[in-house]
Amino acid sequence: MKEFFQLAIPGLMVGSLYALVAAAIVLVYKSTRVVSLAHGQLLAFGGLFFWIGLVALDLPLPLSVLMTLACSIWMGWLVERITLRPLIGQPLISAFLMTFAIFMALDGIFQLILKGESKTYATRLALGELDILGVPVRVVQLISFGVVLLVFLSLALFFRHTKTGLGMRATAEDHQLSQSTGINVRTIFSLIWIISATVASIAGMGTAYVMDIHFPLPYIGIKGLIVALFGGLDSLTGALFAGLILGVLENLIAGYLDPLVGGGLKDVAAYALLLIILLVKPYGLFGLKRIERV
Amino acid sequence: MKMRKISFGIVGLAFLFVLSVIPGYAQKEVTYLSLADYTAAIAGLNVPADMGCEDYFKELNAKGGVDGVKIKFIGVDTRYDVARGVSAYKRYRTEPKLLVVNAIGTPIGKAVAPLVAKDKLITLVPGDGEFQAHLGRVFIWGPAYQDSFAATIDWILSDWKKKGKTGAPKVGYISWDNPYGKEFLRGGKEYAEKMGVSLAPPEFFPPGSLDHSVYLTRLAKAEVNYIFVGGVDPTPTNVIRDAHKLGLTKTIQFFCDYWGPTSLGTRLHPEALEGVVIVSYYLRGDDARNHPLANLWTKYGRGKIEDMNEVYTIGMSWAMTFEAALKMALKEVGYKKLDGEVIYQTYQKLTGIERAGLQGPCAYSPTSRRGSLEVKFYQVKAGKVVSISDWIKAPDAVSLHKF
Amino acid sequence: MRPCGTFDERYSQDMAILRIKRHWAVLIGALILLYTFPLYGSYYFISLINSLSITIIIVLGLQLVSGYCGQISFGQAAFMAVGAYTSAILTGKLGVSFFIALPLSGMVSGLIGLGGGAPSLRIKGFYLAMATIAIHFVVMWLILHLQITGTTQGLHPPAPRMAGFEFDSDEKIYYIIVTVMLLMTYGARNIVRTRVGRAFVAIRDNDLAAEVMGIELYRYKLLAFFISCFYAGIAGSLWAHWIQMVHPEQFTLLHALNYIGMLIVGGGGSIPGVFFGVLFLRLLDEGVMFIAPILSSVFPWIGIHPAASMSVSVFGIVLILFLIFEPRGLAHRWEIFKASYRLYPFSH
Repeated sequence: MKEFFQLAIPGLMVGSLYALVAAAIVLVYKSTRVVSLAHGQLLAFGGLFFWIGLVALDLPLPLSVLMTLACSIWMGWLVERITLRPLIGQPLISAFLMTFAIFMALDGIFQLILKGESKTYATRLALGELDILGVPVRVVQLISFGVVLLVFLSLALFFRHTKTGLGMRATAEDHQLSQSTGINVRTIFSLIWIISATVASIAGMGTAYVMDIHFPLPYIGIKGLIVALFGGLDSLTGALFAGLILGVLENLIAGYLDPLVGGGLKDVAAYALLLIILLVKPYGLFGLKRIERV
Repeated sequence: MKMRKISFGIVGLAFLFVLSVIPGYAQKEVTYLSLADYTAAIAGLNVPADMGCEDYFKELNAKGGVDGVKIKFIGVDTRYDVARGVSAYKRYRTEPKLLVVNAIGTPIGKAVAPLVAKDKLITLVPGDGEFQAHLGRVFIWGPAYQDSFAATIDWILSDWKKKGKTGAPKVGYISWDNPYGKEFLRGGKEYAEKMGVSLAPPEFFPPGSLDHSVYLTRLAKAEVNYIFVGGVDPTPTNVIRDAHKLGLTKTIQFFCDYWGPTSLGTRLHPEALEGVVIVSYYLRGDDARNHPLANLWTKYGRGKIEDMNEVYTIGMSWAMTFEAALKMALKEVGYKKLDGEVIYQTYQKLTGIERAGLQGPCAYSPTSRRGSLEVKFYQVKAGKVVSISDWIKAPDAVSLHKF
Repeated sequence: MRPCGTFDERYSQDMAILRIKRHWAVLIGALILLYTFPLYGSYYFISLINSLSITIIIVLGLQLVSGYCGQISFGQAAFMAVGAYTSAILTGKLGVSFFIALPLSGMVSGLIGLGGGAPSLRIKGFYLAMATIAIHFVVMWLILHLQITGTTQGLHPPAPRMAGFEFDSDEKIYYIIVTVMLLMTYGARNIVRTRVGRAFVAIRDNDLAAEVMGIELYRYKLLAFFISCFYAGIAGSLWAHWIQMVHPEQFTLLHALNYIGMLIVGGGGSIPGVFFGVLFLRLLDEGVMFIAPILSSVFPWIGIHPAASMSVSVFGIVLILFLIFEPRGLAHRWEIFKASYRLYPFSH
């Protein structure tokens, strides 16, 4: 049993970060039907802004969190306004490619700032480890786990109880219908990108703590995409559960199956499993099956 | 009005183009091409190394070059992409007196090597032992990866004896699940067996993993005494951070290979990396910073000397090797007859050339493609990378493996 | 938009790809230029055409499955790898001639592609696209770990050889690559005009409606995947023998994304679009790769690394601008251009 916990608990911690990235992608997909690759960069820039605040400018923690959020709100707005708004009404695949173009454009800036080095703020936030069920876990990761749950909770409340949130859900259902009820779909798109970028940057702060800010950080976005798909591209609950499940599953596979084949199974087995699950449930675990009309 | 603007633009562009072309024909010049990765997987290693190479050539050219021959440095960003690397080589192949192609990143080196061989030039690549096993026009920068692993095995054995323990130590190995990660054990494994060290089943993880606890727990369960961590920094740092979290660093001695944490990396996570031993073929830490050549870092405006990455000195070491070969070749055949074949012959005669002590004496010879044989052990102490040994000759592990 | 004054009087005329004499003249002129290029072209451009042709073959396959049949696939790089490895194993280890290995590697890749296309039976749209990402990783993992593929070492396939003549240099293999590219283009151009091609388009436009009309969805979707992977396999085989090395790190997801990019830039559902897309993105990529060293030599204060990073951004920004101003692809612009040329001086 101890071995299981040793595998599962770090998996949960990592999985919560996957879930948050996936949530950001789901938010955008739900209302705009655009699958986004750009979130990998939004995430990386979240980490980068936080580093700039905390280490480069030496600001206190709350202030750097605020700065990060402000910067990512601005980035989300910018990305939507400049690149995706002109594409409203164009084929969705063009919008998808647009997110890839954004990824590349931002990647250059990310590399320019990094100069090939890696940056970290983990030492600024050294809070030690805590023993949970006999497994040592970093306190910061526990906090980030809590934050992830909190973000999901507040997103749920937001969509259920505020007028804007309800408007967004209506937009997700049908663009034209919601426009005819007086919802400004463009504003909603803008808002949704802002929220999504903020969520991605929170995920970025957590991820960059674990793996430092360096070249592969934006590629966590692809993992998030896979998780979003796993849970169902239009379900936030799905993103949460799929993230946690995938995080744990990766570790269980690496733990129990790696010795049989000589290693390296962690990523690939998760992908293979995903394929199988999609064959059984084509819209992900929690995705909405849309009834199509001809 | 519009036409005017456009024609101005064209004239401006043409001017820039001429500016970039003119210096190429003004004087005696040879070309050094670097197919590097500035913006992808191994940028952390490539960017500072090429800075070192470029700065050394600048310095050399400012002093009049090698016997009046200037060296032109071209660095192309291949983004660790083979197709791009090949295309870049073909584009620059006709540069005046292109002599050396430095392919940072083994897959690119492997793809370019046959083309380079056809053009009778030479390729420089990182440390795959394969190129020592099959002698050709491909030279590696230092000792092969498996040699450095074998040197670590020796170090482990003496450490084991020093601690007064009996029996054989058990060693774990963890690295990326890719060709580079697996290279160490091709020869390294045979060497460990020969020396009576038992290896735990090696662990391989996909690059870009967020958590390495699984692998470390498994190694710990196999009761290893030492763990060798592969990967280009900051991957090894992240692995060791996870080990630190699990409390393994107290009982197990960790090692990193020569692309492991530099002093910049150790500065980021001093407490996790405390006590880690790094096997290196080039100067690290303050050894590198106090080296007289490190002044070029500040001289060419790269930043403060504390922020110098030690990999910078490897670049200078490549440049010095090239300088020595060029000097020798110019003396033998002169500028007119200088070509890739001559440089290939000269590189094989460089045995014993000193590179200002940045790495061991050159070991290129007709039967050796290793850039040097010596390694030096460093240890992280209080966040600093401190030398704990002299230059030690690394054992030959390449010959033990059947390639 | 037909040019003014050309009328189809017979069925064969109606079906012809090249309808008027001028088309033939242009085609023959272009072919002569293309085939005599190694005689006067520079080494770099010959090699560039080789790599462009190989990319065109891959994207043609992608055009059939994604542009015509509407099943987005990110697996092209992996299936190219399958083709490359098959060819390398057949020629290198079993001593099969390249000219037999070439179609065989297409077939093997296509058959494995059927497995890759299997999820399309149940999943659609972006779900399928992401599933093909998973397939990419599974295939690449197998290549890295199976013994037959030379694991981490990769393989070194020999140069193609026919009757004692060795196609071992860029100039020589150019003829093979360009010929295969032209044949594959001709094939693709014809597939889309047949019953199969029309079924693809019907499935893309609305698969339920297509099924109601009597098109067997599963058969045609799988066929689309088979054809596209066949194309990828052929391209992989050519690549392997051109570079003369296959290595697991040659085929990355980024390539697959780039192929999709070429498809969209060129324009989905158009064969000339493939050419436009490949040329535009590959030349842009080459351009930004070489502008960096020039920039850093003209303005030394920029430095090599910043110039390289900026060129990555430039690639992204050009793509963004392109998508904003031409989201339907270059083929669309080409059609507009042709129409207005034919109608000149009248605007409608």
